[in-house]
This record gives sequence, structure tokens and C-alpha cells, in this order.
Amino acid sequence: MITQYFDSSTKKWQRILSGLSLLLVILFGINISLGSVAIPMYSILDYFSGKELENPSWYLILAQFRIPKAITALLVGGGLGICGLQMQTLFRNPMAGPFILGISSGSGLGVAIAIFLGVELGGLFEFSGIARSWLMVVMAGMGSFIVLIGISLASLRLKNSVTLLILGLMFGTAASALISILQFFSQAESIQAYMMWSFGSLGSLSWDELTVFIPIILFGMLLSLGLSKSLNALLLGANYAQSMGVSLTVIRLLIIINTSILAGTITAFCGPIAFFGIAMPHIARMLFNTTNHLLLTPLIILMGGLLMLTFDTIAQLPGVDATLPINAVTALFGAPFVIYLLMRKRNIQYTYD
Amino acid sequence: MNKCLLCLLTLLCLISCKEKTTTEDTAKSHNSNNLSYATKFAIDGTKLIVLEPWPGALQSRTYEFETPPKRIVVTSTTHLPYLELLGLEDKLVGFVGTDYITSENINKRLAKGTIKEVGTNGAINLELLLSCQPDVVIVFDMGNESATLDKISAAGIPIIYNADFLENSALGRAEWIKFFGALFDVSDSANAIFDQIANRYNELKSLTDNLIDKPKIFSGVMYGDAWFLPGGQNWSAQFLKDAGGTYIWGNDATSGWLEVSFEAVLNKARTADFWIGVASINSLTELAAQDLRYTYFEAYQKGNIFNYNKRLGPHGGFDFFESAYARPDLVLADLIGILHPELLPDHEFYYFQKLP
Repeated sequence: MITQYFDSSTKKWQRILSGLSLLLVILFGINISLGSVAIPMYSILDYFSGKELENPSWYLILAQFRIPKAITALLVGGGLGICGLQMQTLFRNPMAGPFILGISSGSGLGVAIAIFLGVELGGLFEFSGIARSWLMVVMAGMGSFIVLIGISLASLRLKNSVTLLILGLMFGTAASALISILQFFSQAESIQAYMMWSFGSLGSLSWDELTVFIPIILFGMLLSLGLSKSLNALLLGANYAQSMGVSLTVIRLLIIINTSILAGTITAFCGPIAFFGIAMPHIARMLFNTTNHLLLTPLIILMGGLLMLTFDTIAQLPGVDATLPINAVTALFGAPFVIYLLMRKRNIQYTYD
Repeated sequence: MNKCLLCLLTLLCLISCKEKTTTEDTAKSHNSNNLSYATKFAIDGTKLIVLEPWPGALQSRTYEFETPPKRIVVTSTTHLPYLELLGLEDKLVGFVGTDYITSENINKRLAKGTIKEVGTNGAINLELLLSCQPDVVIVFDMGNESATLDKISAAGIPIIYNADFLENSALGRAEWIKFFGALFDVSDSANAIFDQIANRYNELKSLTDNLIDKPKIFSGVMYGDAWFLPGGQNWSAQFLKDAGGTYIWGNDATSGWLEVSFEAVLNKARTADFWIGVASINSLTELAAQDLRYTYFEAYQKGNIFNYNKRLGPHGGFDFFESAYARPDLVLADLIGILHPELLPDHEFYYFQKLP
């Protein structure tokens, strides 16, 4: 049984998890030390010891840009990884992920509706930052929830996992098409406003938005830790799960809600980020050789944050004025890594079916 | 998403595109006529020569017409003011993307139906175009339109490339009025109008010649990861300099656009005096709503932020992107009015406005 295996190697996993946490702290430090503007190391140490910095711009850059961005990267990486893991187990499909199954497009549509209506009716920018953030989160969450529910209902009928993927693609394309049509009928002004939102990135969150973002993502992460045991049961098959006394409908619904909250919120604030959702679970499973969700969930939270921080550090191009889009960096550096792991393992058939 | 990008890039490119300056020599050899600033076209007797029809083009295009066209279709709002200044609106029968038009005159003609929309979002609809029966279509190519444009000429409608967006000086771009003048055989009035604009521009510019206090300026807003701001050799950077300001990225060698991180802009421009050009943002509240961190700039705290959105079309198009290229004198006057109000005491802003 999983639990016996888990007990026997508790020490080993504790070591791995605390090692990863330590690495995370180090990478966090590196991430905020590097950027377009060269800030000397002693100034960064001064900042943390609460001393006055010689250049007031540096203080603003550290307090209002680099630290919020690093926190965002940390949460986005972990959050997207968890979404991918839950969807892969829920649909028993190694290809599932928020981006591929159209969940991101669904939340993008929610945000687009909010912006176009908001600008068209006026008043979107009269809201305070926090109120507007909540509006975006709710709309994005609803968008992704609707797509996920649609796919889940279809999955009851369609047993074939490839069909399900195609269905997800269809949902995604339909959502993108609706966004284009919305744009077509909108005034130039709201299109530009939407563009600025849809270009959202890790660095676009200020503390105001983080006061909304952090609690939601932390809640999603805690919920997913709580769901790990049920996910393990699901992995072993629906019949097995039922025999364990797990109510399938409730569990499935909880997973769907959890994924919608995480994917919706992340898309609402940072725009669609490709690659992470689908790849993180595979990276964690292949590196640590486990399919136990009690371990995978914390591993992915840590690994996801770790990788996103690394990618973000690369995207900042330390010392240069310019920055790279985070999506380009995740794909460019992430894809070869996944390919390497795949070539080494030769297959990704875990215990699906 | 693709469309958004396209829109953004078009907006950006309308202001200025990357260019190669290899054609300068050819320009001089053709320049026996009266072109003083433009470098991308030439007029040789009855021949109209576009020296660099699209960015990086290796060969020039020569056009010659026996009679001036009676029915014309243009594809960019920037072509419209030249026609209007020359009083040739009645020759216009079609336009692509009429939602972006600001000109009252042209919009009236649209409403009456004497001008038809022949495509939206920058894509020409060939069937609608053919039904307009134009004698000639004025097109522009930022580098990847040739497939569509070839179809137009294959359908028997002559196309003429307009490359005004490749000019990197304000007056050079305005001088393209002579391109339309030559095409319609009204060169004399084109020359007269341009001379007037150029004289006014140079007069205004000489006002700022001996200024010692040149306020520091920056520009642009964030799009996702990057703050887009004009390179030091960009069309708009030259205006800021001529208006007696110091553009913070003025020493940069790029003629297109720079993509800079927020922290780099904050580091260089936090203490700058003016922030000119903030895209479609119309109030300080809206700017702070986009990103609270915009408020850290001293220009924000002093309220010295200006946009170019004073004149909007009925569907939200910016007149600045339509007529400003043809009227650099008005742009310069506005900028001097912003930076050195004492030089133009009674100036009323035409394109620019202070964010409330």
C-alpha cells in the first residue's frame, strides 16, 4: 500500500522537500538581486536589514517590482503545476493541462467580457485596484469553470482520452474566436485596454493585486494538498475509489473547482502561460519517480516555484534594459528539459488504465 | 491574440518603422527637383519614383501616368490628410478600416456613401475593392503584405506603394504631400502647402534654439513585460528635441521602438519633468488603475502627463495617427506649448492634452 511505502521512506522525502525549500529561498534571493538595473549586493542587504538606500529608485525597484514579481513567479509556477497534475489525474490523461484543454482560453474570455463591457459601459477604471482585481478573478474563474464543467460532462460520455483532448481544443478555439469577435465589435479604445491586460505578465502585479492573488493561490494550494489522498484513489481507478468510500461526484467537483480557481486566477493576472501546466507534473514524476499525490503535490508546488523563478531570472536578462517574454523563456528552456527526460524514460505511461 | 498583436504593431509602426538608409545616394541623384527633406521618393519630370517601397526593399518603383486618376482608394489614415490638404477628397472612393477615420469631411462622405469601406482591420477585401472600380490603389507594405497586394495588381488595378512611414524626419514625412501632388498633377499647390508647413515648423524650432533649460521627457507605457518607448532616432524623439526638451533616451541609436523593463524606466526617468504619450489612457486615475506603480514617477506626482488623444474620431480612432504626420508644425507647436508655455503664450492645444 501507498501509505506503508510512504511511512518507510518518510525521512528521505523530508530531506528532499526541505532541500527543495532551501533551494527555493536561494533562488528567490538570486531572482531579486538581478535585473535590468544593476543594484549592488550591499544595497540589497541594506534593504533587508531595513537601512536607508543611497538611491531612492533602488528602494522602489526592490520593494515594488522585484519582490512582488518573485512572489508572483513562485505562486504561478506552483499553481499551474498543480492544475496540470489534477487535470491529468482527473481525466486519466497525460496530455491534459490548463492550456491544452482550453481552461486558460475560458478564463481569457471571462476577462475579455469584463474589460469590453467595463470600458464600453464606462467605469472600469473608476474601481479601486482591489475591487477590479476581484472582478477579474471572478470572471476568469467563471470562464474556466464553465469550460471545465463542459469537458467533465463530456468525459462521462467520451471514454477515449484523445477525443477529450480534441474537445478541449475545440472549447479553447471557440473561446478565442469569441474574444476576436468581441474585439471586432469594440471600439479602438477598449481594444487597446484589453491588449494591455492580455499582455499581463508576472511583473504586472502590484501589492494591491497581490493582496487578492496571494490568499487565493494559497487557498488553492492548501485545498489541493487536502485533495491529494482522493487523487491517489482516483488514480487507481474509479471502482477502486468507490470501494474506498470516496464519493466520486463530490471529489470530481472539488477538483474542478480547485483547478478553475487556480488556473482562472493565474490567467486573470498573468495572462496565458503555456507549457508549465502540462510539463510540471511530468517533470516531478520523472525526477522523483513517484505517482503518489501526497508527495507529488508539495513537490510540484516547490519545483514549479523553483523553475518559474529560474525562468524569470533568465527572462530579465540581467544587466540589459530589455526583457524577454516569460512565455518564450519557459518554452525555450523548458521544452528541451522535458524532451531529455522523455528520452531517458522512454514512456510516460504511469498507472493510467 | 494575433489580431491584438497586429493592431499594436500597426499602431507602433504607424509612428515609425525600422529603416535602412542605404538609398540616400540614389535619393540625391534623383533629387534634381524640389524635395528638400524626404529621402524615400523622388519626382523626375512626370515620373514618380518610390525609392524604398517597403522596409529593406532593394529596388525602387517608378510610376508614370498619362492622366491623373479620377477614382482612388487609399489604405492608411495617414494618406487622408494629404488628399484633404490638396482638396482631392472627391477623388477618394474607397478606404480600408473606416472606423479609424477622424476627419469630419471624410466621415461625411462615408455616411453619404461616396466613399465605401473596402475591408476592415487592415485586410483589403478584393471583391469590395473591385466593385469600387478605382483607377489606382495607394498601398503600404510593412514587409509581409505582398501576397494580398499582388492579387490587386493581378486583378488589373494598378497599385502604388507609399512608404512615408519609412522617413525618419518630421518634415521628410510631411513632404509626401508632394507625392500626391505629382500623382494628381497638382504639384504647384503641393509645393506651396509644404513650404508653408516647413516654414512654420522651422520658425517654431528656432524659438527653442537658445534655450538653456531643456526639461527631461520620457514616453510610453507598459505592454505586458515591456515598456514601449521611441528610440532616440524615432520620428517622435526628434520632435521632443526640436521642441526644446531632453528626451531621456535621445542618445539611443534606434529609429524604431525600444522595449525596456519597468525598473529600467523607473531608474532613468523617475525624476523626469514630463511624460508625453501614454497610449489610450485618458486620466491620472486610469493610469494608476493600470498599474499603481506609475504613480512613483515625479511627472505623475506633478501632474505633468500628456496624451495625444484630444481629437478622436466617431469610432475612437486617434486623429494624431491620421493627420499629425502631415502637419508636423501643429505637433511641434503643441509640444512647445507643453514644455515652454512662455514661448507660445496663447497656444491652444490641437492634438495633446494634459491628463486630468
